[in-house]
Amino acid sequence: MSVSELKERHAVATETVNNLRDRLRQRRLQLLDTDVSKYSAAQGRSPVKFGATDLVCCRTLLGHTGKVYSLDWTPERNRIVSASQDGRLIVWNALTSQKTHAIKLPCAWVMTCAFSPNGQTVACGGLDSVCSIFSLSSTADKDGTVPVSRTLSGHRGYVSCCQYVPNEDAHLITSSGDQTCVLWDVTTGLKTSVFGGEFQSGHTGDVLSVSFSGSNRNWFISGSCDTTACLWDTRAASRAVRTFHGHEGDVNTVKFFPDGYRFGTGSDDGTCRLYDLRTGHQLQVYHQANGDGENLPVTSIAFSASGRLLFAGYANNSTCYVWDTLLGEVVLDLGELQDSHKNRISCLGMSADGSALCTGSWDSNLKIWAFGGHRRVI
Amino acid sequence: MPLKMKPDSIHEDDDCLFAVEYDGPPLPYDIPRAVPINMDRIPVAAVVSPVCISAAMSFPVIQPILSIDSTKKQLSREKMVSPTSVIEHVSDSTAVSPTEEVSGELEETTRGLAFCDSFEVSEEKESLDNESVLSMDYPSSRVTGDCVSETGGKKQQVVTFLGIASDDDDDEEEDCIQKRTRVVPVKKQPQTKGKKGSCYRCFKGNRFTEKEVCLVCDAKYCSSCVLRAMGSMPEGRKCVSCIGCPIDESKRGSLGKCSRMLKRLLNDLEVKQIMKTERFCEANQLPAEYVYVNGQPLYPEELVALQTCANPPKKLKPGDYWYDKVSGLWGKEGEKPYQIISPHLNVGGPISAEASNGNTQVFINGREITKVELRMLQLAGVQCAGNPHFWVNEDGSYQEEGQKNTKGYIWGKAGTKLLCAVLSLPVPSKSISNASGDQLHSANSRSILDHLEHRTLQKILLVGNSGSGTSTIFKQAKILYKDIPFLEDERENIKVIIQTNVYGYLGMLLEGRERFEEEALGVMNAKQSLIEDEEGDAKSNIKTLYSIGPRLKAFSDWLLKTMAAGNLGVIFPAASREYAPLVEELWRDAAIQATYKRRSELGLLPSVASYFLERAIDVLTPDYEPSDLDILYAEGVTSSSGLACLDFSFPQTAAEENLDPSDHLDSLLRYQLIRVPSRGLGENCKWIDMFEDVGMVVFVVSMSDYDQVSEDGTNKMLLAKKLFESIITHPIFEQMDFLLILNKYDLLEEKVERVPLTRCEWFQDFNPVVSRHRSNNNNGNPTLGQLAFHYMAVKFKRFYSSLTGKKLFVSSSKSLDPNSVDASLKLAMEILKWSEERANICMSEYSMYSTEPSSFSN
Repeated sequence: MSVSELKERHAVATETVNNLRDRLRQRRLQLLDTDVSKYSAAQGRSPVKFGATDLVCCRTLLGHTGKVYSLDWTPERNRIVSASQDGRLIVWNALTSQKTHAIKLPCAWVMTCAFSPNGQTVACGGLDSVCSIFSLSSTADKDGTVPVSRTLSGHRGYVSCCQYVPNEDAHLITSSGDQTCVLWDVTTGLKTSVFGGEFQSGHTGDVLSVSFSGSNRNWFISGSCDTTACLWDTRAASRAVRTFHGHEGDVNTVKFFPDGYRFGTGSDDGTCRLYDLRTGHQLQVYHQANGDGENLPVTSIAFSASGRLLFAGYANNSTCYVWDTLLGEVVLDLGELQDSHKNRISCLGMSADGSALCTGSWDSNLKIWAFGGHRRVI
Repeated sequence: MPLKMKPDSIHEDDDCLFAVEYDGPPLPYDIPRAVPINMDRIPVAAVVSPVCISAAMSFPVIQPILSIDSTKKQLSREKMVSPTSVIEHVSDSTAVSPTEEVSGELEETTRGLAFCDSFEVSEEKESLDNESVLSMDYPSSRVTGDCVSETGGKKQQVVTFLGIASDDDDDEEEDCIQKRTRVVPVKKQPQTKGKKGSCYRCFKGNRFTEKEVCLVCDAKYCSSCVLRAMGSMPEGRKCVSCIGCPIDESKRGSLGKCSRMLKRLLNDLEVKQIMKTERFCEANQLPAEYVYVNGQPLYPEELVALQTCANPPKKLKPGDYWYDKVSGLWGKEGEKPYQIISPHLNVGGPISAEASNGNTQVFINGREITKVELRMLQLAGVQCAGNPHFWVNEDGSYQEEGQKNTKGYIWGKAGTKLLCAVLSLPVPSKSISNASGDQLHSANSRSILDHLEHRTLQKILLVGNSGSGTSTIFKQAKILYKDIPFLEDERENIKVIIQTNVYGYLGMLLEGRERFEEEALGVMNAKQSLIEDEEGDAKSNIKTLYSIGPRLKAFSDWLLKTMAAGNLGVIFPAASREYAPLVEELWRDAAIQATYKRRSELGLLPSVASYFLERAIDVLTPDYEPSDLDILYAEGVTSSSGLACLDFSFPQTAAEENLDPSDHLDSLLRYQLIRVPSRGLGENCKWIDMFEDVGMVVFVVSMSDYDQVSEDGTNKMLLAKKLFESIITHPIFEQMDFLLILNKYDLLEEKVERVPLTRCEWFQDFNPVVSRHRSNNNNGNPTLGQLAFHYMAVKFKRFYSSLTGKKLFVSSSKSLDPNSVDASLKLAMEILKWSEERANICMSEYSMYSTEPSSFSN
């Protein structure tokens, strides 16, 4: 079989795949007679209302000197780790604003950080293409540098996101610019499985974000520059369980819905979307038309504990919309509130119990937002 | 956990859900965190709260609506959320004395310090009483918080300097209302729980252990804590919590004076940088409103004028000064003159007669002089009878008030100066007459101003496609500007990498050989079938130029198999000694040499391969030690998948030392060269906004790539062009300067003679005969290589300006030649300097560099 013949067949096959994909999309559209907002409007729901003190900035965590790129809460809800372009990881006590650790990183271009489920170690990754694990109990030497307790190397591109498998301190998943996600065994420092990559079974662009399901810890989703999100099963790395299309730009962030059966995405096309795992359908698009017609890329999202609210940070000055997920309306903009950030909000994190939201921004600060007033129980 | 929210489906009754969700704010949780702080106080808080609830049930709900004084409300909110303050205020509400309030606040800040240590212990207890008490506690704390803010609110912000945004607003407001009021520098007081003299962080040590002191709050840290407590010291020696606060004025003298401890902890360059920022950073400058001149606090611009004049007052501290604008006399309020500074500065108010508290009835420029001055005047021969009023000019000429003629010069006689020294009175500074001294001063003061505006670390981003030579340039910079470019273990790693590479090159050659052999066989077969050779020779006997012997064949197969399996790196160090002779034999084999001649057809084989292949025997011995040159040639030494960065400063050459003093500072300027390999970073450049703060981008293109094709069959030059386009058009780099380094000039010169430049379709219109470019070549005839370089430079420049409308800086280099890399990087430094002064330099000056790139080519 000659090369030209092979090329021809490849072209034909590609076209077939595209046709099938198109048909699938059309079929889905036919099946979708409504979306969440229409349905709940029909049910007579009204959007959540925010009073003046319902959400206030109650802490500002000062200490970074560079753009904050990532943050993560411990499951026991009182500590935060944040990663910044000043080349430091800082572990904060969220309640007192006190710094408990400041870890100087060997590579300043850090993009992500994560707390282990037991709160004893933190992981971070960035342009150095490795994921470094630091133990918070290890003592710093006289320069204040904490030794790296484990280096997970093997990615051939930057590490864009890392997350521990819920309740497993020994396993960690990373996503990378080399189009793959990797599940690592932290104790040995070796890859357990690689998702995607070589055989085009997964993403065809940089993977930018991963999120684990809260209900089933074998499931995680990933969002990528190829405008799709993929659902993976950690036990079957060979191919994605399902691929979710719909976005028209890079999917910057994905986050599981608290119930574990849905997930939200945020993309460069300026929309957030809600997908259902079981049906594969897109449930809702959250899009706020901007005045000048430009779509602001979504940088990060977070759900409230009930899932009623979706917080989405956008890539312009400190815009962070609070969406009512049921009605698809913006109910609040954190950027408009008092004490808001002065630059782009780059990362969001909801504490494990849902009582506080932490935002990290390019103005080098982190802020903690929480219910700030009295409210009668209805 | 009764309050923990259950993640429910959105289809459930959401109103209820919502209420539950927000009834569990973090604030109630906060309060038990305070338990570890002061155990015995907790019962007080619990007892007080029920009382308050009944009294203020309706209060907290109404309060937020009355948004008259938003800042005040904010303050109270800040207070109540702080876990410790809640307790403080509860107790304070009984005794609302403002002084107590202040001390309470102070205690709170330090308690936070002690707190993290005791935290873990109390965790269990806290979770027990957590939910029961706290949701009730909340309204009470709110009420008390509000009450207190009325009385203690203003006070608090003066004392604590905590960087709360609302405080700043408030201060500004105050400023507007009462202009030029007296501001008293307030000292931030740290409190320590440890015994006196111990470290404020670990509470260890005594007063004799060496400690570093925070410039703001006077907290002292021992050597093991100082780096943790002060972090990276972006403003010098300050606790992290004090960053941004003005320093304690009593410590101004120690600014920029490094302690022995710091020298021990940090390396020289770091210490130098920290001391520099400490002295020059904005937060550490003398706050203008603390300096009073003739009874008026200075505005910031007045202070700058004062500090940057030719003769600035020495040791300027907060306090009251008088300044005689006509003569330049300067002194402390109520004292004799201390110094003569530059006259005619528009600083402060008019001088008062009692400025120096004299009682001699003799006046100079409206100021009644002191006895010492009168004595000096008399001894200097000035007629002082009859209580005269003098006008004294800056040069010492004096006249009596109301008279025109100059009566003489006070400091004219040599004896007077001696006299002044005896009476400790000032004489005019020499620098008034000495021009060079003047310059020195202004250069110095300019550097202060410059420093206020510019950061010390200039970042240079080095980008290029793989194979363009970014890593060689990076390594070259490392060798050029670092005293010890590679550490011992680095060299060991590099050795391993080099040896692996050599096997890799061999593998590529062997692969190529197989391909060529097949091709040749195919051609021969075709010929044979044409000839219809009836003899029917066994085909296996057919030997082509590319055939090798069976032993080598076996080795070749083994190597290719290992490579295909991807574990070359695992196997070879052990196998290295064993196969070294085979490798040599292989390399000397005619078939390999023939293949090697056609290496340009092997897209994967890098041009440096021959350098190592020709020395394969040496390289593959176990005790081989890579030289600097070997390292330069080696691929994959700088972390191939990630990025690498290098901090350096240009070493000062002897010639530069003779230049004017402002240039001395340049050697202190640090540069950071950041190399990003394009391969490891994906195609979408998602990472690029991390480099928003770089000073310039250096894009490297290998000129010899014009006839190379990548794995997917595209011309490498076009790939480089594509990457170049995506980077220059990225919105982050809109205002960025770009320097294009056209690399591998040496290879181009050699190659362009053999392979026409038009091999690349972008260079179709290259016509060296038509090109009439003036060249700096001495013999007048530009070589084809030079022409090709010029042509490419122009191509890239047109491309750049068509996309951005700006000019592109271009330089050529041979990345293996240290001088050419040095020249290119120096050019980058120059561009950085110029871009700072862009407004002042006329455009024609730069165009010299952009239109005559060849000046850097050799």
